[in-house]
Amino acid sequence: MIIDIHAHPGYSHSLKGLREEFRVALGVAQQHEVDRICLSSLANWEDSPEPDRVRSGNDAVLALMADHPEVVIGFCYVNPRHPQEALEEIERCVVEEGMAGIKLWQASRASDRRMDPIAERAAALKIPILQHASYKTGGNGTGESTPADVASLAARHPQTMIVMAHLTGVGERGLADIAPYPNVCVDTAGGQPEAGLVELAVRRLGARRVIFGTDTPSRSYGAALGKVLGAKLMVRQRNLILGANARRLLAGRITG
Amino acid sequence: MTIDAAAYVGEWPFRALEGTVADLATTMRGNRVRRAVVSPIEGLFYTDPRPANERLLRRLARRRNLWAAPIVSLRMADWREQFATLADKRRVRAARLAPAFHGYRAAQAGEAADLAAELGLTLAVQIRIEDERRHPPFVKMRDVPLEDVVALAAAAPSTRVVASAVRLREMLDSAQHIRQLKNLWLDMSHLDGLCCLKEARDAVGARRLMFSTCWPFFYARSAVLKVAEAEMPAREKDAVMGGNAERAFGLA
Ligand SMILES: [Zn+2]
Repeated sequence: MIIDIHAHPGYSHSLKGLREEFRVALGVAQQHEVDRICLSSLANWEDSPEPDRVRSGNDAVLALMADHPEVVIGFCYVNPRHPQEALEEIERCVVEEGMAGIKLWQASRASDRRMDPIAERAAALKIPILQHASYKTGGNGTGESTPADVASLAARHPQTMIVMAHLTGVGERGLADIAPYPNVCVDTAGGQPEAGLVELAVRRLGARRVIFGTDTPSRSYGAALGKVLGAKLMVRQRNLILGANARRLLAGRITG
Repeated sequence: MTIDAAAYVGEWPFRALEGTVADLATTMRGNRVRRAVVSPIEGLFYTDPRPANERLLRRLARRRNLWAAPIVSLRMADWREQFATLADKRRVRAARLAPAFHGYRAAQAGEAADLAAELGLTLAVQIRIEDERRHPPFVKMRDVPLEDVVALAAAAPSTRVVASAVRLREMLDSAQHIRQLKNLWLDMSHLDGLCCLKEARDAVGARRLMFSTCWPFFYARSAVLKVAEAEMPAREKDAVMGGNAERAFGLA
């Protein structure tokens, strides 16, 4: 089973447009035998969206879950700068509507204390947090987490499962930052398919802590899969990365 | 037959790569790539890339399926002689310019384009190697504007020009001009995004696009799968996978 842990519905501002974009993405994913797609909104790609924007973004993901229940696994996007609304949105999308994870982007850093109630709720619900992270040589944005911020969140919440996004963007140093925290995995989504990084992640973290993702539509399924299929790995390691790890993380929420 | 239009060998100072000729041969076998056009990574950094080129040519000597695209710096006073020397070598099909590394603009390469045509060399221009967000702070390098390479090709219609490591956005922005040129090819190693190759093909036409891996920087498999997933007629895929490179580099 192949699971894409990190994908977004598209760039459109209307549900109709997103449905059309996702239909195309689904066609490509199925061609590559990707079985499940974890989809999260980025609320019109704004850094720190207002609560109503967050909700409408998640509504689109809920609609796509309803359209493709056999494929789409929803991740609930929240903005920690609106802590109360974030928790309410998790209740609505995860508890009531069946989303299976939380997505955090670049509204605030993972080291920010406003993250704590979200991380606690995730642990209580036994769902993973997919946290954007990057080491940009020119410096990160104010709300954009570095892997060190992710490590700080992981240390404060050892019971919370965290997927740190963007192996290419975090690089070797990012892997070193999270290595001591077994509750953090790294995803392979985003960035160019830089050779050697998947093998490096497996050496630093072990294959059970590396998870396949694409960051589509900004990245291609082929390029993203090529990282895992092109890496020098044992079959067992490849299977963990492509699906078994995500399946474990999303315990009970994947059938078939 | 699959031809990789842009692979490199050598060392990269900013992270460890497995980039020997033997590694390349293994990668090519694993991805069913039959031939490749190869440039020396060190040549990007040397003031005079000639020693890097000579080393590359020695390493390729017994590899009949590898062609060389040595790097020439137009900042060297003897670049014309370097072109002539390279053109005499059987294994050399192209001269690669890296204006961002050697400190000049692609627009200044007009004479080099004319000389390349005279000598039967293809002129490859490196747009970038790395994502700028990954550049070390002391070398924030500016990408070469694709429009400059397009203008170069337009001004030298008998020169075969290759633009390497072009992004989709750049292709779409320059598509109208690219479509008018029969002597410009684009390598696809840096294309990304859902359906990127299909979009590029719709914009510039399948005859302008060449399969390339940017190995050892990138996993070669990523390039293979980008072509595999593209919704295109088989004959267009064949052209992208090799036919276009045969024409662009005169390999037939
Ligand atoms: Zn993303």
